[in-house]
Amino acid sequence: MNILLYLIIIIMGAIIGFKDIIKPKLMDNIGRVQHYSLLFLLFIMGLKIGLDKNTIKSFGLIGFQAVLLAIFSIVFSIAAVKLVSAFVMKEKEEGQIQNDI
Amino acid sequence: MTFSILLAVGIGIVLGYALFPPETNNYIGYMIDFGLCLLLFFVGLDIGRQRNIFKKVKSMGLRVLLVPLMVAVGSISGAIAGGYILKLPLNEAGAVGAGFGWYSLSAIELSKHSPQLGSLAFITNVSREIIALIFIPLVAKYIGRLESIAPAGATAMDTTLPIISSATDGGVAVISFITGVILSFMVPILVPLMMAIRF
Repeated sequence: MNILLYLIIIIMGAIIGFKDIIKPKLMDNIGRVQHYSLLFLLFIMGLKIGLDKNTIKSFGLIGFQAVLLAIFSIVFSIAAVKLVSAFVMKEKEEGQIQNDI
Repeated sequence: MTFSILLAVGIGIVLGYALFPPETNNYIGYMIDFGLCLLLFFVGLDIGRQRNIFKKVKSMGLRVLLVPLMVAVGSISGAIAGGYILKLPLNEAGAVGAGFGWYSLSAIELSKHSPQLGSLAFITNVSREIIALIFIPLVAKYIGRLESIAPAGATAMDTTLPIISSATDGGVAVISFITGVILSFMVPILVPLMMAIRF
């Protein structure tokens, strides 16, 4: 697991973002770089799946079961988070008001 | 956004299957790691530029932990409901759902029981990741920002985090990372636990 590496990289980015050393114009360009590198990463992730002939073959056999299980997991997860989201986010807004005062 | 995500993943799958030689696989791991690190750095930039994020998340306190808890409950109960329809053993369906999108680990763990279950876990959780990539922007727009973390499961800390971050804001990105980390720690505990339960 690379949790620690990810955390370090995100914190490094956060420090640089927080210090405001990046000029707004460069930031606009970064937004574009961000968009295309995201699409590139997604392309590579797709490539990885497509290269794995076993995955593609098993998808033909058990794809229906797998997609149904995945969709049920996702829909139930969204519904479950929806039950608590107002409660979780409300605290956030109250905190905001306290900070503003 | 959803369309370009679908297109990028789709073209990748088709080209990977039909065009690229199998040796490409040797480099793919590095390319994914590099791309991911670059994007996570950008996520960090977004988080840092919104100065009051940590105060906000801190004010939410332990309530933040409700998000991974609900995603875990939803993923497992959803998979059990799906398994009931497909007439699968319910503990096995629950174990597949407890992979939370982390396909490599859940597949390895469940291959110990049977190769078929291992590949079901693999394909289900790969499908979950792809469906999450495509639908996160739509969930963020039409259902809610916090809810957009739910499809991601354990991948909320890495592969789907850049999408969640760009579809929402730095505050949700922080919650997303926390959610992904907690769910990732739960996978190796909950998958065997589900297999041990007799319904």
